[in-house]
Amino acid sequence: MAGYLGRTFVQLIATLVGIVTVVFFLMRAIPGDPALYMLGDFATETAIVALRERLGLDLPVYQQYFLFMERAVTGDLGRSVVTGQPALTEIISALPWSLSLAVGGLSVAVLVGVPLGILSAIKHGTWIDTAIMLVALIGISFPVFWVGLVAILFLSYHGGIFPALGAAVGGGFWTQIHHLILPALVLGLSVAAYIARLTRSAMLEVLGQDYVRVARAMGVPERRINFRFALRNAFIPILAVIGVTFAWALGNAILVEVVFSRPGLGSTILKAILARDYQLVQAGVLVLATGVVLINATLNVLYGVIDPRMRTGE
Amino acid sequence: MSETELKKNVATAGASRRSFLQMAGVVGAGAVLPLNLAGVRLANAAGGQLRVRFGADIAILDPALIFQVENQTIAGHVYNGLVQYDQATNEIIPDLATSWEITPDGTEYTFKLHSGVKWHKGYGELTSDDVKFSFERVLDQATGSRYTGQLAGLEAVDAPDPTTVVFRLAQPNAGFLHKVCAFNQGWIVSRKAVEEKGEAYKLDPIGTGPFVFDSWIAGNSVRLVANEDYFAGRPHVDEVVFRIIRDETAAAIALEKGEIDIFFGLQQPEVIERLNATDGMTVLSREASNTVNLVLNTTMPPLDDVRVRQAMIHALNRQGLIDGFFQGTKSPAHSVLTPTFQEFSDNVPVYDYNPDKARALLEEAGAVGFEFELVTVALNPYDRFPVPMVDDLNAVGINATMKVIERGAYVQARGSGKVQSCITAVVGPPDPDAPLVTLFSTTSFPPGLNTSRYDQVDDLLAAAANELDTEKRKGIYEQILQKSMEDVPVIPIFAERLFLAHSDGVEGLVQNSLFTVQTYPVSLKG
Repeated sequence: MAGYLGRTFVQLIATLVGIVTVVFFLMRAIPGDPALYMLGDFATETAIVALRERLGLDLPVYQQYFLFMERAVTGDLGRSVVTGQPALTEIISALPWSLSLAVGGLSVAVLVGVPLGILSAIKHGTWIDTAIMLVALIGISFPVFWVGLVAILFLSYHGGIFPALGAAVGGGFWTQIHHLILPALVLGLSVAAYIARLTRSAMLEVLGQDYVRVARAMGVPERRINFRFALRNAFIPILAVIGVTFAWALGNAILVEVVFSRPGLGSTILKAILARDYQLVQAGVLVLATGVVLINATLNVLYGVIDPRMRTGE
Repeated sequence: MSETELKKNVATAGASRRSFLQMAGVVGAGAVLPLNLAGVRLANAAGGQLRVRFGADIAILDPALIFQVENQTIAGHVYNGLVQYDQATNEIIPDLATSWEITPDGTEYTFKLHSGVKWHKGYGELTSDDVKFSFERVLDQATGSRYTGQLAGLEAVDAPDPTTVVFRLAQPNAGFLHKVCAFNQGWIVSRKAVEEKGEAYKLDPIGTGPFVFDSWIAGNSVRLVANEDYFAGRPHVDEVVFRIIRDETAAAIALEKGEIDIFFGLQQPEVIERLNATDGMTVLSREASNTVNLVLNTTMPPLDDVRVRQAMIHALNRQGLIDGFFQGTKSPAHSVLTPTFQEFSDNVPVYDYNPDKARALLEEAGAVGFEFELVTVALNPYDRFPVPMVDDLNAVGINATMKVIERGAYVQARGSGKVQSCITAVVGPPDPDAPLVTLFSTTSFPPGLNTSRYDQVDDLLAAAANELDTEKRKGIYEQILQKSMEDVPVIPIFAERLFLAHSDGVEGLVQNSLFTVQTYPVSLKG
């Protein structure tokens, strides 16, 4: 296990250095200038030169890179050019919003998607299967911002069950949850459709295997075959997709964040890119990349729990 | 009671009232639990929490660096200027200064300050030294201010006694009051607070205004609480919460459901129409202080030929764009000044939509079929409304195409001066210099926005600055507008209109033309 943790740690560091390096040079390769953004329409030449100097933008890019890496090693990712706040603090403040949405959304996705997929596979070829897959197809096809607006219209405006704004100002835990339900549902259902289809095909593949036929021939109850044999074996790819989707939802739920007026990592990074707020983008990407690596590491452990053949560290 | 204690009490009182209201299912009602703090006047204060929609997050509240309407709106609540624009008429009226005198030669402005004005959060009393500091730091290159150029010609600021400030100018500047008006560089900061807080000041502002900055939740909300000691009287509401709601449809639903009280930054024609048709909603609309313009680069042939530029303005169906694309939510523009400016004049050459005339002018100039690239920015609606314009240009025999560039890259491309055209709107206070010097003075490029490199009105701009007689000065501005519209280096496409919606519970809201919203006079109906 210690060896496994060590390998994960090395992988984490390598990934982060790689990603931050790529992002560092990409951000500087695209046209645009933070000094111009900050000084705006009435800027004078001397002001632009002075600000570029203060931000260190007058140095050659490779020098900027080494300066940045030197500070990053000590945990200093610089300050946002725009707000003057430490970049990492600003990113971390968006993290709880993104995490709660991702956890809520993925819970909905798994609770809805996996059972529907199983049902669809068991009732393979019947009208139930067709109906579920049709609904899933519709779910995948509709853009999430549209589903979000429709949900607000019916469940909030007409139904009055949930608030239209997906984030509370203050309020206790339950107030926050109440505001979270609608965005989590919308994000979750769009992913649920995908997970349902995946569960179905993974299950069908396993159900077609020889050992399942043998088990059936030996009179093993259908229930035991479906859940003990088929689902357990089908769960590896499903888990992989859940993990990847979770990482995706952390940084890419921008449309849900916009429609439901929620803060989040995705929106913060997008805002930073538009403002050419280099430090903020780098901090954001660093946090996201750390998240992805940690999720992958967790998945590797979980694979082992489900399938002993995949246990790591031996 | 110490300042922090007071703040805490205001905060808890506000919170408990809010949860009570939620429990009772009453939204926006004020008179349920009258808030009573020591020394607070409650005579006409119904209290309560006012909730305002913001379309984007705040980022920077330091007046020397400030930009974007959300930041300026918060600053308008937190700070005062020496003088201010009347919200309704744009006249310049007293703010922190009770009176001012200008020497006959127009180079010395002396302001008398209100005495006993207190800074927020216990930062002491406002003195003339704070005023001196506020302007000197804008001039100081180390501050990196956006507005250093606005104070060009300001030689010195003196503070002979705590309530007197004297500005000395290198040459007369008849428009100088605009520069010290409560907007951007005109907002007064506390020397002690700025020096003490450093970088953190950007999001921890200390002002003298009607509201005290309380807290900011990134991407979610900004909370201000009433300044109990405000020198012009405590605001009617106890606190204002600005909610960040990016999507306009979601904001409209939130307004209709009573989750917000004021919808700031209303733009989409279909949302405006929807709210107009809803009972219990009021939609306010007002001419803004800017036009949206197509700037032509007059150094690139054949755009150096005035006939070609006139052909282009005749070719564009600008009224059709307003009626069709914008569904009447913008106003026609015949020069770069809008009627909200005191210096506005409609006595200028007007160009009708006339494709035949456009073709004739092009032929005369020998420019039929020339390649024209309309460069615009990838921001809604700037990436969409030029589409019919390109069609109009093609219809008269110009080989026009459109190029949409992401914002950061657009600003850089425009600043390079190497693009044939660009779309530019100069958003600022109703100071005629804002659009005129910015778009037409040779001092405004490079860097700057005179990307057409127009050089025909420098003398007139200088004459206007030197003319202290208001009426004569207006006459000079009229000449500038006439000249610039004869030469058309810049085609005004439309004048911006501002929309603001509020529910019936909101009383006393006056819409301004500054792109901001001011809730100081607002009260909530019980």
